[in-house]
Amino acid sequence: MRGHPEPHTLAGAYAMDALDGRDRARFERHLARCQECAREVSGLHEATARLAVAAAAQPPPTLKELLRAETARTRQLPPVIDGSPAASARRPGRTGPAGSRRTVIRWPAWVPRLALALAGIAVLAGIAVWAVTDTARLSGPLPHGGGIAAVLTAPDVTMIHAQVRTGGTATVVMSHRERSLVFAAAGLRALPASQCYELWLVGPGLDRPAGLLPMPSHGMTGPVIASGLRSGDKLGLTVEPARGTRHPTTRMLLVLAL
Amino acid sequence: MRGVETGADRFSPPRSRGTAAPPGVDLAALLALVAKGDQAAFEAVYDRVAAPVFGTVRSVVRDAGLSEEVTQEVFVEVWRAASRFDAGKGSPMAWVATIAHRRAVDRVRSEQRSAERDRRAASSVIAYDDVAEAVEDNLDRQRVRRCLGTLTDLQREAVTLAYYAGYTYREVARLLGVPAGTVNTRMRDGLIRLRDCLGAGR
Repeated sequence: MRGHPEPHTLAGAYAMDALDGRDRARFERHLARCQECAREVSGLHEATARLAVAAAAQPPPTLKELLRAETARTRQLPPVIDGSPAASARRPGRTGPAGSRRTVIRWPAWVPRLALALAGIAVLAGIAVWAVTDTARLSGPLPHGGGIAAVLTAPDVTMIHAQVRTGGTATVVMSHRERSLVFAAAGLRALPASQCYELWLVGPGLDRPAGLLPMPSHGMTGPVIASGLRSGDKLGLTVEPARGTRHPTTRMLLVLAL
Repeated sequence: MRGVETGADRFSPPRSRGTAAPPGVDLAALLALVAKGDQAAFEAVYDRVAAPVFGTVRSVVRDAGLSEEVTQEVFVEVWRAASRFDAGKGSPMAWVATIAHRRAVDRVRSEQRSAERDRRAASSVIAYDDVAEAVEDNLDRQRVRRCLGTLTDLQREAVTLAYYAGYTYREVARLLGVPAGTVNTRMRDGLIRLRDCLGAGR
């Protein structure tokens, strides 16, 4: 396979963050199954840590002050407990029935997940770089930024990609533990001002409205967060009048098993 | 001399096995306190690793303002994720350095502006020179420099371009005019040799 090196040989490049998004994702999938590789990578990280130490340079003293304020308003992540429901809820990737592609995002527990998840979204859904950078500033004031961060960093986070019937690609990053999902789309068909896209949680009972999608910017829509996910829910998408409706009035353009 | 005021010992990662207590309070023990929301412990961690973090970030990012911003993000991440540090999987310095380097690289790649890339390409070799020149008073630098010297030219260029300039192995291959497969093999061999030379293995 030209251009796709044997994952095992990529341990050095991976340890130095020298893999780009797709290569990195492939290697991490391999890493999840290969204990020996995980051991090798952690050994190589001891070497790269020395490279970091050798490059030491004092930051300006103001930085410490800034951080004091920053940490005071930043909630910490709880520890990961092995064998917790969240941990056992991780499943291997599988292909959904509706032509969707599902990836369970899995990496060593001590690797910060946020950047990976964001990079994954950016690469796979084609979300513009500006959106990723904006979302990545989670420590700053951001509308619903905290909620999105909680989903993206959840231990059971799963990513699904699917085609929207009328055009465009949807990416859903979801955590059952957080009972929430983050929806983003690229290339959705443009709507007149009188209409909008509405998300639905389609359960055994009534379909519940899960939010209106904002106007696209540079062809990219979202990300938006939908909460209150229940077991067995599916995600639906319809076109509705601009202010949204309580129940779907048009055909579902997307139905995703979550 | 930037960055050595606090002395070399303070940045030393704990020796490999972590059984002998390093001088002062163990960084791993401090991180355990940080995980419980201990601000003072966080500041102690900051004092010990801020220079390696900032130096690494600056070497990749180059821009001074952006380096400070990324360094700040790195430490917020250390604060947030301290509970995820697992001493069984690596040293605390490796954990922090991994966060820092990845954050720096991801930031640079997300910018992707060609002008910026070109400028960095022009200055990419400086990173190693910075390290090479700054050896006085710092045993860690001397050791790293000596060990980098034991690598083959290709191994050393591949490692320094990837780590200090933040290039992907495909970009390194293009810069060096060598097949990508060769570059990723050299990166791995080079890092293994470096690890063994530094006695940094686990």
